[in-house]
Amino acid sequence: MALISTILALRRDARILKVPPYLSAFLILVGVAWLLVLPLDEYARNTYVSENALLPGQVHTYFTGSEHNVFRAYRHEVATLDQWSVEDRSRRLKDMFSESNLKVASQKYTYHVSGRNISNQNVYAVLQGPRADATEAIVLMAAWKNMDDAINYSGVALVLALARYFKRWSLWSKDIIFLIPGDSTSGSQAWVDAYHNAHDPLTIESLSIKSGALQGAVAVDYPAGPWGHRYDKLHIVYDGTNGQLPNLDLFNTAVSIAAGQMGISCTLQRMFSHADTYRDRLQTIFRGMLSQGLGHATGPHSAFIPYHVDAITLVTVGDGWHDEMSLGRAVESIFRSLNNLLEHLHQSFFFYLLLEAKKFVSIGTYLPSAMLIAASFSIMAIAKWVESGRPPKPPNPASTKPTTTPSPSEKDTTTPEPPSPELPMVVAKIGAETTLLPTSSLEITERSLFFPLAFVLSTHFLSLLPLYTFNNLPQAHLRTTFFLAANLTPILPLLTAFLLRRLAPSRPSAQEITLIQCFSLLFLGMILSTLATLNFSLSFFIGVLCSPLSFVRMTRNYVASGAMFLGLAVLNPVLVVQVASQVGGVGVLEVLLKAAEGWHVWGLWTQVVVWLVWWPAWFVGSVVVALGFF
Amino acid sequence: MLSFLLLLFLNALLATVSAESDYHERLNLRPLPQSLLASFNFRSKEWASAFAQQNFRYFPRSLGQILQHAHTKELHLRFSVGRWDAENWGSRVFHGAREGGNGVELWAWIEAQNEEEAFSRWLTLVNSLSGLFCASLNFIDATRTIRPVMAFEPEGNHGNASNLHLLHGMLPHEVVCTENLTPFLKLLPCKGKAGISSLLDGHKFFDAAFQTMAIDVRPVCDKAHDDCYLEMEQTVDMVLDVDRSKRPQDNPIPRPLPIEEIECDLSKSYSGGDTCYPLKKQAEPAWTLKELFGRPLKGACPLSDEEPGSEPLCINVPPERTINISTTGPYKEARSAMDTIRCFHLPQLTEFDLVLPEQQMTTGLVRQQPQLFAARTINGHGQERGSAQSVITNPSTTDAVEFVYLESLPWFMKPYLHTLRAHVANSPENPVKETYYRPAVDRQRGTHLEIRMVIPPASTLTLTYDFEKAILRYTEYPPDANRGFDAAPAVIRILSPQQGDEKGSYIRTTPLLLPLPTPDFSMPYNVIILTSTVMALGFGNIFNLLVRRFVGADEVPAMGAGGLKGILAAKLVSLKAKLGKA
Repeated sequence: MALISTILALRRDARILKVPPYLSAFLILVGVAWLLVLPLDEYARNTYVSENALLPGQVHTYFTGSEHNVFRAYRHEVATLDQWSVEDRSRRLKDMFSESNLKVASQKYTYHVSGRNISNQNVYAVLQGPRADATEAIVLMAAWKNMDDAINYSGVALVLALARYFKRWSLWSKDIIFLIPGDSTSGSQAWVDAYHNAHDPLTIESLSIKSGALQGAVAVDYPAGPWGHRYDKLHIVYDGTNGQLPNLDLFNTAVSIAAGQMGISCTLQRMFSHADTYRDRLQTIFRGMLSQGLGHATGPHSAFIPYHVDAITLVTVGDGWHDEMSLGRAVESIFRSLNNLLEHLHQSFFFYLLLEAKKFVSIGTYLPSAMLIAASFSIMAIAKWVESGRPPKPPNPASTKPTTTPSPSEKDTTTPEPPSPELPMVVAKIGAETTLLPTSSLEITERSLFFPLAFVLSTHFLSLLPLYTFNNLPQAHLRTTFFLAANLTPILPLLTAFLLRRLAPSRPSAQEITLIQCFSLLFLGMILSTLATLNFSLSFFIGVLCSPLSFVRMTRNYVASGAMFLGLAVLNPVLVVQVASQVGGVGVLEVLLKAAEGWHVWGLWTQVVVWLVWWPAWFVGSVVVALGFF
Repeated sequence: MLSFLLLLFLNALLATVSAESDYHERLNLRPLPQSLLASFNFRSKEWASAFAQQNFRYFPRSLGQILQHAHTKELHLRFSVGRWDAENWGSRVFHGAREGGNGVELWAWIEAQNEEEAFSRWLTLVNSLSGLFCASLNFIDATRTIRPVMAFEPEGNHGNASNLHLLHGMLPHEVVCTENLTPFLKLLPCKGKAGISSLLDGHKFFDAAFQTMAIDVRPVCDKAHDDCYLEMEQTVDMVLDVDRSKRPQDNPIPRPLPIEEIECDLSKSYSGGDTCYPLKKQAEPAWTLKELFGRPLKGACPLSDEEPGSEPLCINVPPERTINISTTGPYKEARSAMDTIRCFHLPQLTEFDLVLPEQQMTTGLVRQQPQLFAARTINGHGQERGSAQSVITNPSTTDAVEFVYLESLPWFMKPYLHTLRAHVANSPENPVKETYYRPAVDRQRGTHLEIRMVIPPASTLTLTYDFEKAILRYTEYPPDANRGFDAAPAVIRILSPQQGDEKGSYIRTTPLLLPLPTPDFSMPYNVIILTSTVMALGFGNIFNLLVRRFVGADEVPAMGAGGLKGILAAKLVSLKAKLGKA
C-alpha cells in the first residue's frame, strides 16, 4: 500500500512531466541506433535451410545437351512474336506449350486505373504430375515484359524449354504450372486472383483449367534477345505486395542452389557489388526496408505472396560467363527441391531483413527498433494526458512561504499584498493530526474531451478525401492535383488555426490543445506499433518522419513557433513524397500512377497509412504549432 | 487426313463373353495419344453352395473368409493413382464403373439386422481388408463412412434386399504402391507367374500416368436355374506413357537425347547447327510388351478357359497397324469389329510378345466422347472459410444428362447448405431435382450430400457452396499437418442416358486439399521442455529435502575435519578397524 501511495503521490510531482520528452527522445535515438547495429556480425545470423525436405542442390541436373539447341530455337521463336498482336502471341505460345503435350489455357484481363486501361493476356500450361492428385501445384513463370518494360525473350523461352523438358520426368509429385503473364505486375495479379476466385469476372476472365493449392512460385526474368547474353549474377527479388515476404527457406534454397550448386553468385536489393562491409550491409538493409515500406509489387512473384504462396523472381544481371542453361539448371534444381516438399513452406522465417545473400536478421532482433519509436509517441500521449489533468496554473505551495516573493513584474500588476491569505485552504484531519491544504490541490480538473476528440477524428475522416481523389483521378489531372495538394498542405494548418481563433477566440483552450495532441499521438503510437508487426519498415519510416510531432507545442514565442512550423512544413507528407520520388529518380506522376494501380490492382495499402495516419498526425501537430501565431 | 473407322467397344465385347467357365482373364490394349491403355480383367466364380461350405477353388480363401465373417454380400474395393485425362483419352474404361477416387475407396452391401450391427460388421470388414491389402483401410471410421442413397446400386442379384446395408468410405490421401499390388496379385489363381498377370510389374505399373486396381465381388443368380454363384472380378487399368515406359529400368533418367536423334523443323529460318525447333512426332511410336511392361508375357495361365471368344489378349488398333508376333509356341489370332480388334490365344509355358514398329498412320479410331467433364476446386484463401466449386460440362449437343452428385466431406469442413448454388450458364432453370443431406456431427461423422441434377445439352453447370474450417485439437492433427487435409473426391453417377451396362457409369473428381489453421507445433514442444525443466528443478529440490537425512553438525564425529586431513583420518580409522579385526 505504501508503495502505491508513493507512486500515486508521484503523479502530483511537477518533475514527473519533465521526464517524458527526454524519454521519448531517448527511445527514438535508441530505435534508430538499434537498426544501425543490426549489420554487425554479433546481431546478424547466417541463413540456413530449415525445412529438411527441401534438400537443396542434392540432385544432379540434366537440363543440358540438346535442350540447349531447343532453347535457342524457342528464343528465336519468341523473338518473332514481339511484333505480333496480343491475341496472336497468346495463340502461338499456347501452340508451343501444347506441342509439349501440356494442358493449355489463356486468360484475358483488363484493369481501369487512373483513366488508363491495363489490358493484356496471360498464357499458362499445366503439367499434371503423373502420380499427383491435383491437390498441390508449383508455378514457374516468366512475364512477357519485365519490370523495366523490356521483353523477357530468354525468360519466356526458358519456361517453354523447361516445360518440354519437365514433361519427360515422371517424378513430379505436384502439378507444375507454367505461366506467361502479359506483364510483370497486373498480369500475375489477375491470374492469381482468378486462381483463388477473388477476381471480378466482368473484367478478368476466369481460369478454365485449375490445379491444386499453390505451394510456391518462381519467376524468371532474363531479357536477353535472340542471340543471348551471358550474365554475371542472379538478382533474387523477394518483396511481396505490402511488404509481405516469402518464407526464407525458399530464398535460401534458391541461393544455396545458385551459389552452391551452379556457382552463380546471388545478390539482392540491387546491391550488384556487395563487398560485405558494414556500409554495404547497412545499405542492403536500408534498400530492403525501403522496398518493403513502399509495399509495391517488385516483380511477377509479388502478387502471389498475399495468398500465402511463397514466391521469388530470379533476375539475371551484369556481364559474366553464366549462360541460359545454368539458369535453367538452377530452376530445375529449385523445382526438384520444391517437389520434395511434404508440407506447405512453414518452417523458416516470414519476417526478416536480409543483409546479404547469406546473412539475415530475424524479427525478434529488429522489431524492437520500430516498437521503441512507436512507444515514444504513446509515452508522449500519456504525458499529455497527465498534463491535461493538471490545473491550468499549478499553485506552488512554496509560494505561500515568504521566502519566495512574487516576481517584480507580477508585483506591478497585482495587489501588493502577498497572495497567501487569499489562497483558499481546507483543514484536513488525519487521526489526531491536523493539516492545512490548499483547496486547489484537492480539486479535480475536468477534461473537456468533446472538442479535441471531434477535431482529431474529423481530421482523420477528412483525409479520406485525398485518399479517394488520388486513387481515382484520371492520369491527366494527377500532376496538377498533386501540386495543389503540395501547396495546400502547409497552408491548411495556418488557415485552420486562424479560423479556429477567429470563430471562437477562447477556444481551443490550453487544455484542449494538449488533449488534441494527446489523442493524435495516442492514435499514432497505437497504429505504428500495430503496423510494425505487419510491415516493419513502413512503421519505422513513418515513425522517424513523425518523431518531431512528439516535441512540438503551442507557444506564444513567435520565433520558436516559426522554427517549429518550418520544421514541420519541411517534413510534411506531400513534400516528403515529392522529394523522395525526385531523389529516387522517378517522377511524382509515376509514383502516383503506380500507387493508384497498386490500390486498384494489387491491393496496396501504403497510401492508407500515408493519408489516414501520417497526414492527419502531421496536420494536427502543425495546427497546434500554428495556433501560437494567432 | 485420317479417316476414322468405327470402333466397337471392347467393354461390350467383354460383356458378351459367356460366363460359363470358372476362371477367365483378359488384357485389352488400346493406344491413346503418346500412351497405351492396358486394361486387365480377371474373373473367377464360385458356386454359392461351395462358397458356403468354404470349398474355394478359384475364389481366394483369404478374401472369401473375410466376406463370410463380415457378412458382406457385395464388395467393391478400389485403389487409384493419377487422373484420367478425359480430353485426350476420351471416355473411361467400363464407363468409370471399375474406377475409384484417388487413394482408396471401398463400398459394400452388408447383411445385418440393424444399422449398429451393419456398422460393426463394416468395421470388421475394413480392418480385415486393411491387413489383407496392406492399406490403411482401418482409418475408415465413422467420420469417413457414409450410407449413399442414390449414387450406388447393387450389381449382383440379391434375393432378400431388405436387410442389406450399403456403407461407403474413402481415403483420399492413401498412397497406393507395390505393397498393395502384391496382395492383389496373390488373389489370382496364377499369382502373376503366368498369363497376362505376369506383365504386372510394380516399377512400370506405378510409373504409369493413371492406374487403378479394383476388386468387385457380387452374387449372380441364374433366374432360370435358380443357382447362384459368387463372382469376383479383379480389374487393373493403367495408362502407360510409351516414351517413359520404354526407358530401360537401369537407366530411367530422361537425359536429353543426342541432337541427331531429335527431329528438327528445318523450315525455320534460324534452324542450324546449334538451333533446333523440335517437331512433334506424328507417327505411332514403336513398342513391344516386354519394353512397356518391363517383363515378358509368360504364356497363358493354364487355368483359364480356351474357348473362342475368350482370348486372353486383345488389342484395339486400326487394321492397317502392323503387329508382329514374337513367340515360339502356337498361338491363334481372331479379328472382330471390322478388324479393329485383334485377339490372341496365347501359347502355354512360352513367352509371347507383340512387336509394333513405328508407323505413320492414315486412319485412326473414333474416340468415344465422355458424357460429362467434371472439375472440382477450392476457392478463396485464408484460414477461416472457403468455398468449393464444381464445374460439370455436358459436351453432348443433343442429350440432357441426369446424374447424381455425391460429396462425402470430413467433419472439419463444414458446408453452409444455404450457400449451395447450382446454376447452368445461359439457363434460368434450377438444375437441382432432388437433394439428400445428412449434416456432420463434430468428431462423430462427416457430411453426406447427394444431389440429383440435370444438365441441358452443350452447357456447363457450376455448383458452389461455402464452408467453414473447424479448429482441431492439437492431437487431432496428422503428421505433416501443414500440408493440409484431403477431402474425398466427389462421385458422379450418370443416370441417363445410360451408356454402360448394369454397372452404371461413373466419374470421379480429384480430391481437394483443405488448408486448416495449423498451430506452430514447435511451440507446444518448447512449452513442454520449459515446463519439464521447471518441474525437474522443483522435483529435484523437494525430493532432495524429503529423502535427505538431516544430522546436526556435531553429531558427525569423523567428518569433523574436511579435506585431506579428514580423508586421511578416515583411512586411518578404517585401517585400524581392519587391523583390529585381523
